[in-house]
Amino acid sequence: MPEIFIDNIRYEFEGKPLVLQFMLDNGLDHPFFCYHPSLSIPANCRQCYVEAGTPVWNRETNDYELNESGDRVIRFFPKLMTACSLEATDGMVIKTHRTSELVKRAHKDTLEFILVNHPLDCPICDQAGECPLQIQTYKYGPEGSRFEHKKVHKPKRIKLGPRVILDAERCINCTRCVRFTEEISKTHQLTIISRGDKNYPAVAPGTEFDDPYSLNTVDICPVGALTSADFRFKARVWEMNQTPGIDVTNGTGCNIDVWTRDNLVLRITPRYNAAVNDHWMPDFGREDIRRMNENRISKPELSLDGDRIKSSWNNAEITLWEKLKEFSPSEMLFAGSAFSSVEDNFVLKKHAKRIGAEKVYFTPFIKQGSGDGFLIDEDQYPNTQGCRLLGLKELSPADFKAKVSDSAVKLLVMLEDDLIGRGVLNTADLEGKFVVYMGSNHNATSAAATLVVPIANSVEQSCSFVNVKGRIQRTTAAKETIYTNRKLNLEMSVGRLDRYGTKFDNWVTDRNRIDCIPAWEYLERVAAQDDANFGYVSTRAIMAEIASTNARFTGVDYDRLDEEPGIPLISAEEVKTA
Amino acid sequence: MEMTYEFSKEDLAEIEKIKAKYPDKKSPVMPVLWLAQEKFGHVEPEVQQLVARTLDLPAAHVYGVVSFYTQYYGKKMGKYVLDVCTTTSCQLCGGYEILHYIEDKLGIKAGETTKDGLFSIQSVECLGACGYAPMMQITNGVYCNHLTKEKVDTIIDGLRAGRMPEFESIPMPQHLDESTNKIG
Repeated sequence: MPEIFIDNIRYEFEGKPLVLQFMLDNGLDHPFFCYHPSLSIPANCRQCYVEAGTPVWNRETNDYELNESGDRVIRFFPKLMTACSLEATDGMVIKTHRTSELVKRAHKDTLEFILVNHPLDCPICDQAGECPLQIQTYKYGPEGSRFEHKKVHKPKRIKLGPRVILDAERCINCTRCVRFTEEISKTHQLTIISRGDKNYPAVAPGTEFDDPYSLNTVDICPVGALTSADFRFKARVWEMNQTPGIDVTNGTGCNIDVWTRDNLVLRITPRYNAAVNDHWMPDFGREDIRRMNENRISKPELSLDGDRIKSSWNNAEITLWEKLKEFSPSEMLFAGSAFSSVEDNFVLKKHAKRIGAEKVYFTPFIKQGSGDGFLIDEDQYPNTQGCRLLGLKELSPADFKAKVSDSAVKLLVMLEDDLIGRGVLNTADLEGKFVVYMGSNHNATSAAATLVVPIANSVEQSCSFVNVKGRIQRTTAAKETIYTNRKLNLEMSVGRLDRYGTKFDNWVTDRNRIDCIPAWEYLERVAAQDDANFGYVSTRAIMAEIASTNARFTGVDYDRLDEEPGIPLISAEEVKTA
Repeated sequence: MEMTYEFSKEDLAEIEKIKAKYPDKKSPVMPVLWLAQEKFGHVEPEVQQLVARTLDLPAAHVYGVVSFYTQYYGKKMGKYVLDVCTTTSCQLCGGYEILHYIEDKLGIKAGETTKDGLFSIQSVECLGACGYAPMMQITNGVYCNHLTKEKVDTIIDGLRAGRMPEFESIPMPQHLDESTNKIG
């Protein structure tokens, strides 16, 4: 197998790796700014310099040429090479800053140049704490600046588009953002303008950076030049918890990181998954923080003689229990939801079956023509395939409306799905029926329901979703409800503020914890009135049961979902034919 | 009334000829911008968009090219554009003094245009005439070399009267045949 020597240590490699990526893959730290594994390689920041050489081949002996001490003679490239664009070859010798004073000096001097016009505003910069320039300056940079002249001033606070703000002074012209719009989102909206020390990225005059993927440029910006208009100045990164999750605004199921502080979701960033979304996600998925934080249903609500009253959990449980006794199974309708998780739909179906209702219905939410063939899918809900695999009965919106508005239906139990808001039903369809709505946000459907049960959403519990391509992926609880505790639930991340903050600090409150429980737990509690509950204690256990009872979910468990980039449950051919 | 810019049939034929010279569609952007500037006198954003449309290129890319070169006028300029070089050699030989002298004389700053629309001043990077420093170029045309304040006065007065300075041939030492004192 071909070999490469990096800092006198031998590594074997396959194929044609690039030296920088190979070093990163092998856990060797190396500075760089402009390189990004999913973009083209311009090698313009010059930060990843290494000394590189290849062994000399002696044609006469047909072997490597050796010196007196029997070592291979290495012919080094006359100048330093950028590791990002250098392809590894057999026998190549690389010297990094660990073994070469020259490379160490080069890293320091390149950084000194990059910092010549970079403002010293880290204390007020959003990128501070997760800034490659800041980190690498600490590790490899000069102790101080020798430049005493005035820095070049460029425009600040330019609104490039509705979601992205540029501070041109902070820009180091790595062109990652420009390459993103050229190669990934293909809108070609950005360019570098002007030249020399005056250049910075911009849009063409009269246009704006309204790319539906624009916020990815904020993520890949290695400095604080591009910042999110929404997240700007909201929080320091080290005060937040970062929890893995799944984007539920779309059928694609982009992998995300959910950033919380004091139980508010402050931002969502994409998480790498080569099989689903690579490093990217659409902008609208990040706006989901509003749904997670605002307009939440907290405490059950009940319509009583025309009044809407806050009710107790006990009352909410007994009310549904009584109604399930009052009506016969043929008078009940159970509606699952492609917006809710696999576990919630499964438990609803199981309890419906226990009561005698053979079928649980759902209707997908497809916006024809809204997909772009990349990460934005026509399917507006994250779990349509999951509902199908669980054997829920799929109805077209019209059939679903007919089913619900049937006067024989007296009791309607629904999982979170704003059926009125999205135009499947109207309020008149629900009149005269006892409607139980399990949801996390107030909407038109919850307003029309008789009993509203607040349930935990995808960032308040671990739960799984099957995306349009049939890949099951799971979320992790990121946000506490008033019944969960991140110090007791070992799966939840505990950040600096959670660990050291107290209620007496003015930045830690209990205000943002919602009075809600998962939908499956509510259904279990209702059944417990008859001791007919199945005894589920966690979504992990529910998934274990799904895997053992439903052949389509064979082999799925939470540990595997954590280890692997999701598990494909449906073959590509099956997705295509459906 | 807002002016709309269009290429004529002859221009489009010319552009086709330019495009035929290059293997990809990005490359013709510079000669086509040049053609547009010759025709309209500038390449303002509307003209950039016209060029982008004609060549099927992103408007941002065309804007990037225009803003890179001081020779492309991204906004309307005066009749005479005085590009004063302020890069190293000219700077050392007094490029900034010349620039500031012209600024004071015309009452405008670099990057501005006089009210009568006659003169614009730009402080530009090296024009490759270090041997004749300090120097300036007039409207992407003639080079005025070895500038002094007196020489600037003469040039500007001449331009006001509509006289473009003559092209000056200055032999460089290594090209000079000493026996004949001519360029050899």
